[in-house]
Amino acid sequence: MANVLEAQNISVQFGGLLAVNNVTFNIPNKSIVSLIGPNGAGKTTFFNVLTGLYKPSAGKIVYGEKEITDLPPHKIAEIGIARTFQNIRLFGLMTAQENLLVAMHSHLKAGITATILRTPKQRKEEREAEAKAQEILDFAGVGKWTHEFARNLSYGDQRRLEVARALALNPKVLLLDEPTAGMNAQESQVFIEFINKLVAERDIAVMLIEHDMKVVMALSQRITVLDQGEKIAEGSPDEIKSNPRVIEAYLGRPKGAKK
Amino acid sequence: MNKGNGVTLAKVVEAKKFSGTPGQIRQQRIERGGAIGISALFAVWMLVNLIKAPEQFAQVAISGLRNGLIYALIALGYTLVYGIIELINFAHGDLFMLSAVFSSFFITYWMGAEESNGYGWFTFGLCLIAVMVFGAVVNVLIERLAYRRLRHAPRLAPLITAVGMSFLLNFIGLKWNGSTPRQWPTVIPSGDIYIGEIRISMITIWLFLVGFPLLLALNYLVTNTKQGKAMRATSQDRDASTLMGINVNKTIAFTFALGGAMAGAAGLLYQQSIGTTSYNLGFQLGLIAFTSAVLGGIGNLWGAVVGGLLIGLIQGLNDGLPFAFGQAWSQSVVFTILIIILVFKPAGLLGKAVTEKV
Amino acid sequence: MAKTSVANNVTRSNRKWIIGYSITGFILFITYQFLIPWEGLPLGVYDAVYRWMPPSAINESLVYVIMALGLNIVVGYAGLLDLGYVAFWAIGGYCAGWFMSEFFYFLNINFFGSVPAEAPGIHINFWMVLLLGGFICAFFGILIGAPTLRLKSDYLALVTLGFGEIIPQVFFNGENFFGYNISNGTKGIVGVDPIPVGVKDLGPFDFGWKLLIFLLLTAIMVFVSLRLRKGRLGRAWLAIREDELAASMMGVPLMRTKLASYAVGAFAGGLGGVAFATHVNGVYAERFNFTISIFLLAMVVLGGMGNVWGVILGAFILSWVNGNGLTAFGQLYNEQFGTEVDFASFTFLLFGLVLILMMLFKREGLLPESRLKLMLHEDELDDEDASASKKKVGK
Repeated sequence: MANVLEAQNISVQFGGLLAVNNVTFNIPNKSIVSLIGPNGAGKTTFFNVLTGLYKPSAGKIVYGEKEITDLPPHKIAEIGIARTFQNIRLFGLMTAQENLLVAMHSHLKAGITATILRTPKQRKEEREAEAKAQEILDFAGVGKWTHEFARNLSYGDQRRLEVARALALNPKVLLLDEPTAGMNAQESQVFIEFINKLVAERDIAVMLIEHDMKVVMALSQRITVLDQGEKIAEGSPDEIKSNPRVIEAYLGRPKGAKK
Repeated sequence: MNKGNGVTLAKVVEAKKFSGTPGQIRQQRIERGGAIGISALFAVWMLVNLIKAPEQFAQVAISGLRNGLIYALIALGYTLVYGIIELINFAHGDLFMLSAVFSSFFITYWMGAEESNGYGWFTFGLCLIAVMVFGAVVNVLIERLAYRRLRHAPRLAPLITAVGMSFLLNFIGLKWNGSTPRQWPTVIPSGDIYIGEIRISMITIWLFLVGFPLLLALNYLVTNTKQGKAMRATSQDRDASTLMGINVNKTIAFTFALGGAMAGAAGLLYQQSIGTTSYNLGFQLGLIAFTSAVLGGIGNLWGAVVGGLLIGLIQGLNDGLPFAFGQAWSQSVVFTILIIILVFKPAGLLGKAVTEKV
Repeated sequence: MAKTSVANNVTRSNRKWIIGYSITGFILFITYQFLIPWEGLPLGVYDAVYRWMPPSAINESLVYVIMALGLNIVVGYAGLLDLGYVAFWAIGGYCAGWFMSEFFYFLNINFFGSVPAEAPGIHINFWMVLLLGGFICAFFGILIGAPTLRLKSDYLALVTLGFGEIIPQVFFNGENFFGYNISNGTKGIVGVDPIPVGVKDLGPFDFGWKLLIFLLLTAIMVFVSLRLRKGRLGRAWLAIREDELAASMMGVPLMRTKLASYAVGAFAGGLGGVAFATHVNGVYAERFNFTISIFLLAMVVLGGMGNVWGVILGAFILSWVNGNGLTAFGQLYNEQFGTEVDFASFTFLLFGLVLILMMLFKREGLLPESRLKLMLHEDELDDEDASASKKKVGK
């Protein structure tokens, strides 16, 4: 199966600290993959490299056929790589609809003159964008908050809105940073169903960073484990569950055991 | 390597030579090229002037360095405050102006010292203490009344307040000093010494004799005392400092006090060496001093000193040398330097670039 | 708990404001053009009007309003602190000085100008010079912005301050700029062409008719501001203002969008500069200094950053106080109490206090834009409030 996104031999160095060490990570088309590891393993750093926020010290990122390592973040978003944030970073002072419309910025065409004159073309574009935004909001389950300021939404709805906003980018790859943080068991279940439905209905691949093992095991087709900046395991949920190195990374070695 | 409960320490490796992405490499090359190009131009300019007019060169260099000392003292205030709360205290230059006015009133009116004699020098010393206290108190007050409330507000708010405060101090200066510049007698001995053809005035010597110990004292305070350490800790990580038992409010107030004292001293030195005060002094010199702080590396104390001396030197050379833009363009030259540094190397000469963590 | 809001004040204002605005403008015009000069007007009223609100004061205020609206786009919409806006005002003014006067006396270019064709100098039609000045300023806005807009807010503020000093200084020293005279230095360019409006040519004393023109220019800026805000550029600006990083990760090109705000803002500066040149009938270098940039900032802050109507109000109030109000009030006070207080010198105090007090107590301005109020008080959000809103379970 072809890979929609490939990260090849990525290393990230901050000063004297090697946060990510020679990690290769591929996301196949229409798949759901996860990246897990103990705190400080370098997951978020690696994640930020994938989305263009950090530039790697070595290695390259390939999207489809194109190398995109040097692209600025907004260009990476424009070509179809969307992300959510660990701490929700919605535009709280804009309505849910406006949040999505901002994400559509790069796909809309109206320029300054067209906007000022409100040409028929611009008005049509806006109408269509609003309709599309509504469709995505409905799909994500926050359709009734269209004109509500994002900061007034409940926590769960804000998370949903963040995903909706990412979907407004019409992405081929959706990268979710701890999407179920703060959710209870029921909400996590709803989220699992949502992601499955998403991948089934659209031409999109999903990658998660997650700490909730139930969600990871339920959703992932493949799990990659990072520890101290290095990839220590990669495989199906069952393989990872029983991998001794993974267990050691999370729980440490029993006292007295030989290395 | 030790592993705690789920918390691991990442490996610290000897710096492997990572060159970065092609785009980054290109960017670095451009920056380095620009830096080399500008330095080369600068060196050529200095050389040309040095060859064409060596005594003049030395002369303006010395007077430039003298101004640079004053800039350095003011710049310290900017860099101290920026280092600890990441705020450009626009009002700092005007504090310097008020200190100059204060000094003029203190020495000439209140103490009546107008000549260079024992009484005059005694008054100078007394004023030095008084004006430093004045500067410290005013600065602490400003922080307490205006900036403290806005410490957690979005960036725009304290910046705008600082600008407003600058105007306020300007107004006080306008009322205190009057709208026209005023001349004052000085208690610094007149007279010059000569090294070859080069004339060094007693004023220059006096300024360095007073200024340098001040810088050394400040350095000692910041590096060796408990308060100084608290300052450095707070500037690196405010929350962690609180957890370590540091009283952040007191520390920030202390920082403002130090910065204000430096501005006070600068005001006295300026007033007694140049001999004039005007209400818009703060704006002109404030920006030059801030450029110095940025040139040296904002947040870095020695950077402020180096930056101040360097800017003073450049300005002196520009104003006095035959192959230069001349005094009319003095402000523009300094601002152009500011812009160039901020665009190409915001960390300055001695500073470190910081990346934002997401 | 924050107020919910369905529509923001932008959509509500859209068509109806034109009506209200036109009516107000018309009334103002009738008053100043016909009512005040009427012989039947009681002398007391005439004197009061000329002391407190002479027609020249209104026109001058409108120039400030135009520029404040421009600054509003940069500071209010995009959230970029620009402390050097006066540079654009200066460039606009000198555009008028170059293209509408006898400054270039050794040339003879006349393009629908309002003076006889033989007159020396460049004489381009006022309306074209307006556009020319606007676009030249927009160009300079992009020129200044391109290397500097990626800096973080405090550094950007300083750099804009630097430009706000350099450009006026260039004009100040402009009599000998590498050998060329580009501005007549401190002497200034005296006398610009009158404004042609078909039937008449409006000179520097045609305050009433000029009022209409300035009102028109202001209306254009309001129109442009509101339209842009509603479209994708305005959304991008608001997103940048709130969270630049998230905006860029959602596909908003930061540099381009910020440059756009600079360009549009600068355009307004150009309009204001040309208009002001016709108002004072010349271009005088000492007029352009850093304090003007701060005045404009104070107007935007006082009115409510981002709110077009608030900014107009703030600009009117402050420019009036600075120009006419303080002196008039001072006269009154001194007459009443027999004092000799120089009120005009209190300008710095006033503007300083406006900035400080507004930031401390009413950050969102007099007529806040609803979302701005929320944003600027983020730090005061009650802990209880925050966790409560987070614990609310979704549907």
